[in-house]
Amino acid sequence: MKENAPASFPEGEGSVGNTLTIPRTKGGATARLVTVFGSLGPRGEKLVHYVFDVGELPYSQIAFPGYGPIRSIAREIPAAAWHERELHDQYGIEIVGHPDLRPLVFHDNWPDGVYPMIDSVDGVPWSNREYSFLQVQGDGIAEVAVGPVHAGIIEPGHFRFSVVGDTILHLELRHFYAHKGTEKLFEGRSPVDGAMLAESVSGDNCFAHAVCYSQAVENACRIDAPPRALAIRLIGLELERLVCHISDLGGLCTDVGFSVAAAYATRLKESLLQASVQCCGTRYWRGVSVPGGLRFDLDSTKVAGLVQAVTRASRDFSDIAHMILETPSIQNRFETAGVLSMEAARDLGVVGPVARASGINLDVRRDHPYGRYGNCSMKVPVTHYGDVMARARIRIAEVAVSLGLIQETGKSLPEGGVLAPAAAQRDVQGFSAVESPRGELCYWLQARGGRLTRCHIKSPSFQNWPAMPLAVEGNIIADFPLINKSFNLSYSGCDR
Amino acid sequence: MIGDVIVRSLRERSPLIPVEALLGNCDGSRMPEIVADRLTQAIVQRLVEVCPTAALGVEDHEGRRRLRLSYSRCIGCGKCAEAGQEAVIVAKHFPRCGVTKEQTVRLWDIDGRAEVTPLAPSPEEARGQIHWLLQRALNIRQLDAGSCNGCETEITALANPYYDLERFGIHFVASPKHADMLLVTGPVTRNMAEAVKATYEVVPAPKLVVAVGACGCSGGIFTGSHAIVGAVDAVIPVDGYIPGCPPTPTMLITGILEVLRRRMAK
Repeated sequence: MKENAPASFPEGEGSVGNTLTIPRTKGGATARLVTVFGSLGPRGEKLVHYVFDVGELPYSQIAFPGYGPIRSIAREIPAAAWHERELHDQYGIEIVGHPDLRPLVFHDNWPDGVYPMIDSVDGVPWSNREYSFLQVQGDGIAEVAVGPVHAGIIEPGHFRFSVVGDTILHLELRHFYAHKGTEKLFEGRSPVDGAMLAESVSGDNCFAHAVCYSQAVENACRIDAPPRALAIRLIGLELERLVCHISDLGGLCTDVGFSVAAAYATRLKESLLQASVQCCGTRYWRGVSVPGGLRFDLDSTKVAGLVQAVTRASRDFSDIAHMILETPSIQNRFETAGVLSMEAARDLGVVGPVARASGINLDVRRDHPYGRYGNCSMKVPVTHYGDVMARARIRIAEVAVSLGLIQETGKSLPEGGVLAPAAAQRDVQGFSAVESPRGELCYWLQARGGRLTRCHIKSPSFQNWPAMPLAVEGNIIADFPLINKSFNLSYSGCDR
Repeated sequence: MIGDVIVRSLRERSPLIPVEALLGNCDGSRMPEIVADRLTQAIVQRLVEVCPTAALGVEDHEGRRRLRLSYSRCIGCGKCAEAGQEAVIVAKHFPRCGVTKEQTVRLWDIDGRAEVTPLAPSPEEARGQIHWLLQRALNIRQLDAGSCNGCETEITALANPYYDLERFGIHFVASPKHADMLLVTGPVTRNMAEAVKATYEVVPAPKLVVAVGACGCSGGIFTGSHAIVGAVDAVIPVDGYIPGCPPTPTMLITGILEVLRRRMAK
């Protein structure tokens, strides 16, 4: 591995150079870390990018030389821990002072010293390197290993529990079984062609990924998608959220054995997927959003039909959801299970419904409006209990908000085209953030000579997974599936 | 309260889709169908250019050019239907689920404007097996080898009141040791390859393996990545392929039943 500049690392507190000065909000608090990622500069030099939310409309982006060792910010901002491990795995950037630099993305089969974002990845040999889990020691402590193949229709991941009797003392995650090298696969594609790959990052949130990617290209190339396209995107995004939240409440019911309610939720979900086929030809809105707007227009009467179906399903959902939450055995299981404290959520930069259930008032749609959200007034439901019930309640409340947004937008669907012509700019960079059903999703991309040279995806699941083990500590292992479901994180979205 | 939920649920009309309407149905998958008498060399050239996963290609056969459509690679993006000037339409009926890999490929003689591949198994044949199927039990273990979870959401939908896979005596089981069939999704990632092999090993014989989705069938849009090993058949033997990105629940049912039918025909 060749370095492009001599390694230098300044010593001592307060020195600048390769030490990042962490931005602060106006109130003086540490800004929320959004993402950290690497890229290569025009001469092949490594760069490290930090994105923060400083409580203002634009995100704060800092690019930082990465050709020497960099100082870890994970002790000050624990949310950076996984990002820095990924940076190390992808770019081989030396990170000083990191509490845990074990490989994250690549497993035992990947050889040391091969960094896919800078090295050749043709015929990477199979290896067998060591990986050690944290050992919890003491009388009566047992280890329970679960996964990567789970006992259901679930994505792959590994959970290592340390338990005393039924009580979980510690849970360690080992993920990235679904790692597909997606960020690397973007390289060399034309920016217009990347949306399809973005749709395959996390299948149940594929429209949020397609829109976020499309917006990043639009921001990079200064394209304004037409108002009609923005309105239809909003409907698609809110529908996806609604479908996810309905499905999640059904999943929670499944995990406590309340199968009638679970079946009811799956039925509502299916009615919305079938309504989508009528409206746009696919169940999950794949192949609809592209940079510049939409690939094809949707018929206004069909959109109206979809809005009707959504209205019906949301009302049914609202009725059934209240019945479910009034059931004492549900209250018994949901309340006080899997509490994620506000402090832990803040330290780990947790986003989305999980953050909002732990008292963190955060929503990209309101805080950093994109597309048509700037025209909408919306209420962001927040509660502070942080347990399974709080996460269920947040999702139920958000279904009502999404329904309102869909109805409001459906009523005043702008006329006109849906696709702005692609611009001819060749060397560009763009960033975009979207509130996906699981929370803040970001794309950062760069193109040179009309081809993508880098595309970084920060998925909400990547950010939220490290918080889940904290919520299960002290709970019994039988409650783990329920708590895990209440987070509803995507493995593929995290692993990419 | 719990009683309210049950009363409410019983009040609804059953949305169960009859078997006849399930088999071969592919609504929402945007699988392409070729309109043979509209094929021209120029259109075929255009189709091959727009296809992002090389599902459409041209090959020479005894001096004649043939259009080749590999459904196992198709992600249903619909670009060919847009570019094909009515030579490609979105299929209304798609029986090539649960078939062999060879049967996922179709060929057309371009100048002759005619398909040269044999017809796919008809849903009529499968229908003839339904009575038999309803008397049998099949235990399926779903195995995610690294998918994007699109296929998982559709497989989960098989249990909803519209599709109700259990009416065929088909159940999803928690352990591969209890399974007759592995339903494998995703390109097999490097990190999952070992687990996929180990899972296959512990399924009791005779074991059926079905590759699901463009990724499972061919690697799909992830073909060429350093982090994947390839399609499911690069790691374990596969008995049937269900194309689509993702395949819809109806395509999944058609495919699972077709694999069973073929197994019985042996």
